[in-house]
Amino acid sequence: MKTRAVLGSIFASASVLVIGWQAGASAAHSAEALTSTGSTGSTTASTATGSGTASTPSSTTSSSPSSTGSASTGGSTASTTKTYTGNVIDTQWGTVQVEIKVKAGKITDVVALKLTDVGGRSVEISNYAAPILRQEVLAAQSANVAAVGGATYTTDGYLQSVQSAIDKAGL
Amino acid sequence: MPTHVFPTMGTMVSLAVAGGPVPGAGLARLTALFTAWDDRYSLYRPASELSRIASGELSLLDASDHLRDSYRIALDWRDRTDGDFSPHRPDGVLDLSGVVKALAMAEAAAALLADGFTDWSLDVGGDILVHGDATPGQPWVVGIVDPDDRSALLTAIELDAARPALATSGSAERGDHIWRARRAADEGFRQVSVRAADIVTADVLATTIVAGGPAALDRVTERWPVDVATVSPSGEIRMTPGMRAAMERAATTSSQPPAAR
Repeated sequence: MKTRAVLGSIFASASVLVIGWQAGASAAHSAEALTSTGSTGSTTASTATGSGTASTPSSTTSSSPSSTGSASTGGSTASTTKTYTGNVIDTQWGTVQVEIKVKAGKITDVVALKLTDVGGRSVEISNYAAPILRQEVLAAQSANVAAVGGATYTTDGYLQSVQSAIDKAGL
Repeated sequence: MPTHVFPTMGTMVSLAVAGGPVPGAGLARLTALFTAWDDRYSLYRPASELSRIASGELSLLDASDHLRDSYRIALDWRDRTDGDFSPHRPDGVLDLSGVVKALAMAEAAAALLADGFTDWSLDVGGDILVHGDATPGQPWVVGIVDPDDRSALLTAIELDAARPALATSGSAERGDHIWRARRAADEGFRQVSVRAADIVTADVLATTIVAGGPAALDRVTERWPVDVATVSPSGEIRMTPGMRAAMERAATTSSQPPAAR
């Protein structure tokens, strides 16, 4: 169930994160392999949609066969981490190519390989704000924090804010 | 840890001090410092200098050096952000609230240091500036609020000496102080947090990204040494590698037994 949620959140942001596979047949196959531990109809559907809208330069073909191959052979291997490289696709954000790492049926990392902003300039990957997994965020939510950042709250809004609870605890 | 809370600028100041409370006289000075900024720049106070400029009663040429310095800083940021950040409302009124709170915070930080306080976290209405350690050897860990639930955290990040400032802007909050220079509503962000070396840079750039959308996000991360976290209207979270690392460090820190406070 958790895996399904994680994969769902990944593919929900398909406009950015979609893994654009080369052809319809391999797309279906790969999506199946990726989601084999928790596939849902909607997950598969959004993957397919993403593939459909991908504009795939043939020059990227070289990166796909190897990843597709590993997907078909390693989908259920529990302990090893597999890397899958997506095709270059156009999104409202610009041109995007990502790589995902999958271990035991879970996506463990998403790495941006190639990015171009809406103006057509390439973006430094070291600075790029990439989508992150909700589960990573959840890990930090239990942190013992000294203060809370947020868009400015009013004096009244403060009373409803988590900051006020922290301030009470500190008094 | 001693925490001082007081209202100012239509919001609340929360000052957590490691090591010991700020004495009454020091707190009074801090309060007065923020009040002075508010008295001069609030557009909610008809008698403030900025309100008198807005009403046409006072000319910018006759304004105080203090106000013109702030205006110059705001205009400089407007140029550096290609106009995504602007000190002018669409109706032409000069509104310096985009820089004033951060400038006041920077002055408060200097005052605290001058009084000998080296380990503190200063939160003014959701913008945070820290100095030193929360506990000896442990950096400050601060939360970022969930825009869907203001009583919950979205995540937590570490602030350190290199980037001790965290500012957050939202597109649907109080403070109509973000004037959208361009239409970015469809692809904009609900909330943007920027971690930087100083609070003015953090605050201005958070505003810039909310106003300018994804294109501004790319420009900002390309030009400035900052870390950024954004939340889209659908709830998708994006982080630069530096922000992600700061979040991972926060998770590690918090998993250790809390030191005695």
